[in-house]
Amino acid sequence: MSPPLLPSQLFLCYFTLFVVTLFFWGPDKVRRGLWDMLMYRSPAWSSQGVPAGPKKPPSELLGLQITLLCLGAVLSRAMAAAAYELLVLGGGSGGLAGARRAAELGARVALVEPHRLGGTCVNVGCVPKKVMWNAAVHAEFIHDHPDYGFETSGVRFNWRTIKEKRDAYVRRLNEIYENNLNKARIDIIHGYGKFTADPEPTIEVNGKKYTAPHILIATGGFPSVPPDSEVPGASLGITSDGFFELEELPRRSVIVGAGYIAVEIAGILSTLGSKSSLLIRRDKVLRTFDSLISTNCTQELENTGVEVWKHSRVQAVTKSPSGLLEVTVMSSAPGHKPTMEVIRDVDCLLWAVGREPNSKDLCLDRVGVEVDARGHVVVDKFQNTSRKGVYAVGDVCGRALLTPVAIAAGRKLAIRLFGGQRDAHLDYSNIPTVVFSHPPIGTVGLTEDEAIFAHGKDNVKIYTTSFTPLYHAVTQRKVKCVMKLVCAGKEEKVVGLHMQGLGCDEMLQGFAVAIKMGATKADFDNTVAIHPTSAEELVTMR
Amino acid sequence: SAASPGAWRGAAARCRTRRGCAVQRKPEYDLLVIGGGSGGLACAKEAAQFGRKVAVLDYVEPSPPGTKWGLGGTCVNVGCIPKKLMHQAALLGSALKDAQILSLSALFLFHSCSSSLNVRLCCFLPNRKVKYFNVKGSFSDPHTIRGLTKGGKETILTAEKIVIATGGRPKYPIHVAGALEYGITSDDLFWLKESPGKTLVVGASYISLECAGFLTGIGLDTTVMMRSIPLRGFDQQMASLVTEYMESYGTKFLKKCIPTKVEKLESNRLQVTWKNTDSGTEETDSFDTVMWAVGRAPDTKALNLETVGVKTNSETGKIIVDAREATSVPHIYAVGDITEGRPELTPTAIAAGKLLAQRLFGQSSELMDYDNVPTTVFTPLEYGCVGLSEEKAVQCYGSDNIEVYHAYYKPLEFTVAERDATQCYMKMVCLREREQRILGLHFIGPNAGEVIQGFALGIKCGATYPQLMKTIGIHPTCAEEITKLHITKRSGLDATVTGC
Repeated sequence: MSPPLLPSQLFLCYFTLFVVTLFFWGPDKVRRGLWDMLMYRSPAWSSQGVPAGPKKPPSELLGLQITLLCLGAVLSRAMAAAAYELLVLGGGSGGLAGARRAAELGARVALVEPHRLGGTCVNVGCVPKKVMWNAAVHAEFIHDHPDYGFETSGVRFNWRTIKEKRDAYVRRLNEIYENNLNKARIDIIHGYGKFTADPEPTIEVNGKKYTAPHILIATGGFPSVPPDSEVPGASLGITSDGFFELEELPRRSVIVGAGYIAVEIAGILSTLGSKSSLLIRRDKVLRTFDSLISTNCTQELENTGVEVWKHSRVQAVTKSPSGLLEVTVMSSAPGHKPTMEVIRDVDCLLWAVGREPNSKDLCLDRVGVEVDARGHVVVDKFQNTSRKGVYAVGDVCGRALLTPVAIAAGRKLAIRLFGGQRDAHLDYSNIPTVVFSHPPIGTVGLTEDEAIFAHGKDNVKIYTTSFTPLYHAVTQRKVKCVMKLVCAGKEEKVVGLHMQGLGCDEMLQGFAVAIKMGATKADFDNTVAIHPTSAEELVTMR
Repeated sequence: SAASPGAWRGAAARCRTRRGCAVQRKPEYDLLVIGGGSGGLACAKEAAQFGRKVAVLDYVEPSPPGTKWGLGGTCVNVGCIPKKLMHQAALLGSALKDAQILSLSALFLFHSCSSSLNVRLCCFLPNRKVKYFNVKGSFSDPHTIRGLTKGGKETILTAEKIVIATGGRPKYPIHVAGALEYGITSDDLFWLKESPGKTLVVGASYISLECAGFLTGIGLDTTVMMRSIPLRGFDQQMASLVTEYMESYGTKFLKKCIPTKVEKLESNRLQVTWKNTDSGTEETDSFDTVMWAVGRAPDTKALNLETVGVKTNSETGKIIVDAREATSVPHIYAVGDITEGRPELTPTAIAAGKLLAQRLFGQSSELMDYDNVPTTVFTPLEYGCVGLSEEKAVQCYGSDNIEVYHAYYKPLEFTVAERDATQCYMKMVCLREREQRILGLHFIGPNAGEVIQGFALGIKCGATYPQLMKTIGIHPTCAEEITKLHITKRSGLDATVTGC
């Protein structure tokens, strides 16, 4: 099916149709006038009483042919201009960015999205998460108020208030995205797009077929839950998606997982006042991060009151008659006998054990787009899939599951396809990441272990510091800030930066620019500090 | 007094004999630092690391209202540190507003400030290699310093090399009656035992705006009186956004006003009279506290610099130094606020002091680079910047040769709290040529200090606009907006950020 036409094209079509209708079924006088015009005569209605001029040889067939030719030309031109050049599956960060950039470069784009625009980030990810984190930070600050001279007795927290405000904000963002697409003349096709078995890659949405020379898969992912066959009663738990639907602050929360999503949610729930347990399989959280971070973060979680169950797995989940959950946990620390314990009266069991790509229902096999064992779409550095004309960006590819990465990859692809820059692709090295834990974590580049693996132990120099930020100089609650610079080679090029502490979230971005540029330790030292900040510690490390 | 000329003569005589000895014997110290502030201590500590014999002289002349403090200089006692703590208290105050708590009673925390800072001070002179004298030093000859204790006891110290790092102190206006008797300065503000109450802050420097900002933040009725423009020397578009935000935050501004007199009323309040230069009228109001923030000046007089021939700028009184921080006398150096034409910032003083010690004793030739010094003004909405202001860039390169990228953004924490983010703004000044090297970066928003530091490093490394664009953002932060800057001022397009 062809895409809808632009208003001007529509007008031309309707006008032609209108004229044709008049020609065959209009009042005789009009029909005769039109016929005269077609025959290169002055129309009868304007020449009343005036003798008609010399008649050209009547050639009715020729006239008709010209009419039809005109009609055909107008229609076909309109159709050609309106055919889509890019179809985007998924209205999340990556898809929206790719679609908008392509449209800016003059391409006709349609975007297929079954749900609300904005994807994971806006609806059930970064944005509402950060809002909740901000709420938790307020709660932390309240502890410090007496130290800073403010009397704050009887402060109560109302989950519903922040949930309503958060939802309203997210809805506002959804509208903004829709407006942005409309402004960019991108057509939004509401529905679930699947590939068909047509010879050319084609998408079917709600029974209608769409095609384009370029199709972008940006369908993202979803949080996984262990199957009930593995953990009986697992489906009684929720995921991060469900976290954003909670109408009340849970009294007793159990979060399963050691990744950043588990750490963030455990931190938010615990800080806002839910008794929280974090169940991890080994002895530390964030095990893919630098050891400084994973050790310190585990410690900080415990300091803030999260009960961290190490070497633990959920064995079974049951629902008690009261409607609360009972979570049976097996803990087996190395060298110890496994123990079985039950956490009772749990009103929020949350699985944060990984994310899976949204690729199964796309019928990718019909177009020959290769996926890996876990269902991630396999792409090269240009985001090309194994099928020509089909591309993928973002979480569905399973690499660096971050909003800005998807956005950047989507834009680069659009620039490559429609901007004439044939070599445009995203550089996946030195991607800065922040974990909104308490306190936040910032990290970019290689971990110490990765650097030693890549450069050899003798070529890696580590600088670390640990201090109490000025903010905590006058507070009873002390939360330290730890920082590590990983340097490689004789010139001490900074290849990794890892930190956790107050303000590290906003601190990282600029340093990421410098590290991307290849800054050395000497460059760090030559930068004048900003006093008094925590960031200045990074340029004054010894 | 009658005794002093005699004492002087005696001292001079002793000096002479000492000098006589000094000619034959090596001076007592390798390095003598006058002033135990950020710059002086950094220099002394660094020199001690090279195994040199170092002495630090520090003496704090009480401020007119009588405030005095110990080692550490302006920054830790009456500057950056207590200021930032008060700023944080004020932010907590506004956080309370976000949390919709109506009653807040603010108590000052100066005492807890100062006590915890003493702990911090302990780490300043960790080794016994640096000898500390709590005396007021002045030159008696080029290698000899005469120190006087509070009680008038005299110490004579000789040194091979001498570093002057005595910093500066807030100025009082000269032609305002009652200014000195009734007014205080930033030296006193942090050591007040009680809340200053309704306060008038005179001046438009960053010190004035910062103090007024946190006083407003902790719930006090605060007014800023300024003669002309705010934050002279800073980018003026940013400066006006800073004051605009402060106005919406509750700080009152008396613009184009010059104070004429301060009187004490029977109620113990202070009545301030000023002239409005716009309307030409005279106006008056009463305050509990009047704080002068009309600039800072060095205290070079007491150093007796003329005797040894150290040249100063006659207008500012500051010591003239070259790129090596050397004064007009070869073995006498100066760092920090007392030096002419240098930024009055703790980190520059520290860095300059350290580098100086490395050059003097460590066979280094590295000079302090005063370009691209980042700084942050801790007003209620923080303003961080590095490099050139837009005006300065236009002046240096011409408006046709620079490109200014800018954006009005909304921090996420403002959105949900429905706070006004009209002044959350950033701009990046680049050269317009193909490479688009970044000349300056200006950022107004929460955590500006933490945001700008890393970018300062990048800009120091010569970052260009395309390089900045290559860096992936961190979502959702305010800092990421800098890596997304794409609207130029030249284009005239709306610079408001909409969504991701």
